[in-house]
Amino acid sequence: TEWNVSVWGKRRAFTEHVEKLAELVSEKTGGEFTMNVSYGGLSKNRENLDGISIGAFEMAQFCAGYHPDKNRVVTVLELPFLGVSNLEEEVAVSRAVYAHPAATEEMAQWNAKLLMTSPMPQYNIVGTGEPRDTLEKMQGMRVRATGGLGAAFEAAGAVPTSVTATEAYQAMESGVVDTVAFAQHAHLSFGTINQADWWTANLNPGTVNCPVVVNIDAYESLSDAEREALDSSIPEALDHYLANYGELLKKWDSVLEEKGVQKVEIDQSVIDEFRAKAADPAREAWIADMEAQGIPGQELYDLVIKTLADTRGS
Amino acid sequence: MAGSAAVLEDSSILSRLDRALVPLERFFALVSGLAVFSLMFLAAYSVTGRKFFNTPLSGYVDYIEAAMPLIAFMGVSYVQRAGGHIRMDIVISALKGRAMWLFELISVLFILVLIIALIWGSWAHFDRSFDMSKPLWSRDSSIDIGLPIWPSKLLIPVAFSVLALRLVLQAWGYARALVLNLENPVAVPLILTVAEQARLEAEQLEGAD
Amino acid sequence: MDEITIGLWVSGFMLAMVVLGMRVAFAAAMAGLLGLIWLRWNGFDYAPDRLWKSIEISVKIAGQVPHSKVSSQALSLIPTFILIGYLAYYAKLTSALFEAAKRWIAWVPGGLAVSTVFATAGFAAVSGASVATAAVFARIAIPEMLKIGYNKQFAAGVVAAGGTLASLIPPSAILVIYAIIVEQDVGKLLLAGFIPGAFSAVIYALLIIGIAVVFKNVGPPVSGFTWRERFESLPPALPIVAVVVIIIFFVYNPFGDAWGTPTEGGAVGAFIVFLMALYRGMRMAQLKEALIETAKLTVMIFTIIWGVLIYVRFLGFADLPGAFSDWITSLETSPMLILVCILLAYAVLGMFMDAIGMLLLTLPVVYPAVMALNGGETVTAAESTFGMSGTMCAIWFGILVVKMAEFCLITPPIGLNCFVVAGVRDDLTVQDVFKGVTPFFIADGLTIAALVAFPGIVLWLPSLAG
Ligand code: NA
Ligand code: NA
Repeated sequence: TEWNVSVWGKRRAFTEHVEKLAELVSEKTGGEFTMNVSYGGLSKNRENLDGISIGAFEMAQFCAGYHPDKNRVVTVLELPFLGVSNLEEEVAVSRAVYAHPAATEEMAQWNAKLLMTSPMPQYNIVGTGEPRDTLEKMQGMRVRATGGLGAAFEAAGAVPTSVTATEAYQAMESGVVDTVAFAQHAHLSFGTINQADWWTANLNPGTVNCPVVVNIDAYESLSDAEREALDSSIPEALDHYLANYGELLKKWDSVLEEKGVQKVEIDQSVIDEFRAKAADPAREAWIADMEAQGIPGQELYDLVIKTLADTRGS
Repeated sequence: MAGSAAVLEDSSILSRLDRALVPLERFFALVSGLAVFSLMFLAAYSVTGRKFFNTPLSGYVDYIEAAMPLIAFMGVSYVQRAGGHIRMDIVISALKGRAMWLFELISVLFILVLIIALIWGSWAHFDRSFDMSKPLWSRDSSIDIGLPIWPSKLLIPVAFSVLALRLVLQAWGYARALVLNLENPVAVPLILTVAEQARLEAEQLEGAD
Repeated sequence: MDEITIGLWVSGFMLAMVVLGMRVAFAAAMAGLLGLIWLRWNGFDYAPDRLWKSIEISVKIAGQVPHSKVSSQALSLIPTFILIGYLAYYAKLTSALFEAAKRWIAWVPGGLAVSTVFATAGFAAVSGASVATAAVFARIAIPEMLKIGYNKQFAAGVVAAGGTLASLIPPSAILVIYAIIVEQDVGKLLLAGFIPGAFSAVIYALLIIGIAVVFKNVGPPVSGFTWRERFESLPPALPIVAVVVIIIFFVYNPFGDAWGTPTEGGAVGAFIVFLMALYRGMRMAQLKEALIETAKLTVMIFTIIWGVLIYVRFLGFADLPGAFSDWITSLETSPMLILVCILLAYAVLGMFMDAIGMLLLTLPVVYPAVMALNGGETVTAAESTFGMSGTMCAIWFGILVVKMAEFCLITPPIGLNCFVVAGVRDDLTVQDVFKGVTPFFIADGLTIAALVAFPGIVLWLPSLAG
């Protein structure tokens, strides 16, 4: 069996679990089951779910915030200030939500099955000029932030201006945005760190959720051995991803130093103020919106919080 | 490289149908043009707001992306009627009479098959983003301000359907020319030599001065 | 059958259809669709009961492309650039420019011809298309040159050649298209076009002066303008300067943050020219005409874009570009020689094809190969073959290719600019124009050689922008 896999950009920390999965699956089946990972050749990144639904390719990665109406359920994981503090916790909450019937059912409408997440650290912002370290200074700030994160900054008085990741550098250079919210690897691979004067170390407003999905028909037509090879490789692929990202985070401080980027620690009182303004109203609005559409919003949110507590407890 | 060409008219049913479709095509093309025009104002508004009042237009990129299909597709049939879609006509301009009409007929039928396939494919693309049971009927939304995308996706099968009608008329026109061995058939764009065509373009500018 | 072989067959089929006279956009889209079906059915081992499934999947993949590819902010530059050109005509910027150029520089040998070249270069700063520029100046500049005894063929050649500058000097629809296909920063590419465009104009001017000095009968200098007359000629042409400044400052502001994106710059530039045109007497009927003409040209270009991108989507599934770069990089020949061969191939292809169609059809395969030749997209200048980073190589190659495409507008047998000039003037045949434009082949040859040998001419401005 040969699968086409649609991702975008170039190979980076964000795609390492997909690459590892391809490697492991091929190894375990003695080359019987291979995956071609294509970086943008098969689809536009915002249409990877369409491609899965058509059967254009068998596996793909996408981000919930690119098109919330396509994937309302998993956007719970993009709510601001959920309190996820590391990648392991991000893996745990994603796994719990992906296993929820509401999520599987919504994805089944796209003929898609959620395989694993692409765990991302909190999206902190880089910017030029004076650090925006108070809510006053965030008034009218043009920030590249998608999904729930964008809504959070909007609540704080900023103007979310979403360009796709690949356009972020140009948007920042040209002053279309003055700050960009990304995970560390993306600040590196999309070059926004080169434009930056400062980076917020502890704002931790939330993150985006980018699942990897497979086409259900393709998954079901795998032989038992192939499906076993795929399923059993997922934990390994995620472990590899986490280890690789861990290395990157270790180097992060030296990168900041090398590029002359100031590490801004934001006052706890400012963060609390931000959270009060952004998180609670955003969560309530999201839950009400989902419940009105027959999606168990409250239940999903509770599931995230409970999983987080359980993960920390164990 | 063929640009625009002349379309002859007479009182036949075919020619009347041909002319009946033109106002619709021209209206669609004007919509394209107006969309370009509004893009200009949108940018001026966005830049002024951002630069001078620090109130950037929220969703600027989303609006542009929604307007692009309007600009790019609405005029597709208008251009096809005049034979304006680019091609290399070194070989075909060497043909004469029935040989040429046969060639053109095959060529138009070929495009018709393609466009019917694309109407199906682009309709499916629209259909995936459209769901009557969802708020705003939307199952696909833009990145910034959550604009539903289905209206702009719907434009493509609509514009292609008009093009398909146009292609049917042209196929009829070429088939008629082939059967009756006509020299100057109606309702189809007649090939001009590059020189004739350049003169036509120049006259157009002349008249516009 | 392997995917590469299918890719080659389908590409051959497409080229055959294009040569036979199928509309380029539809030939490419059809080839892409058939290729997708073939590839898919091949994956199903040609099982008869899977044919319909293969068709269905492929049609749906192809049906995504038009909307998906066209809804892009960067592509919105093309219609605005086209609109600017039409509005500039109604704003009477063409004659204002020619008048100013005449009063300021016509005193040199071959003066009026030199003035024409600089006036076309100036108009290029508001016009996105070469053919339109040539048509407009054929009406304004040629009669004046003939009046003072210019050789008819030579005067026509000057206009045909000068017109080509419009696609190098921003705004330029072709540069935007290049940037989109190769996924590079539009702003930097536009910026990169300025100096090579100006450089081409200077080479043209030097060539004319040289000819005028050697052959006394070509055309006399025109002198006798007072400084007062000279300065009076400037204000009507000023909107051009405004547009140039706006576009530069939106892409790169030497004094601080840029003002916005190139897209916004193009639109704001168009807005200024629109106000100017209103002021100079453009009325509703003319505006409507300008909008319809803009729509026609835009639709024509976009149809090729989505048509070819369906073919490119097929190439993505067949991985043909990857295979071609592997082959190019495995050659023993020197990379510079390969690059020169690629440019020569464009010169030959361009003799028979339209510039936009040519670039769209070839770049998806040729561009990755050139990048691989230089050492890849992310190579640093120090480790690269051509001594420039991946990004810079993309810009440099883009300018070279666009210059080639422009060159093809004046070469026989189908140099479109020459046909347009002959079409405007009753007293000129196409052969006359081709004869008159011949000296400019030398100028273009020199320009291209200089751009290849001294990439700094192209890369200096964009490298300032970081
Ligand atoms: Na130009
Ligand atoms: Na040519």
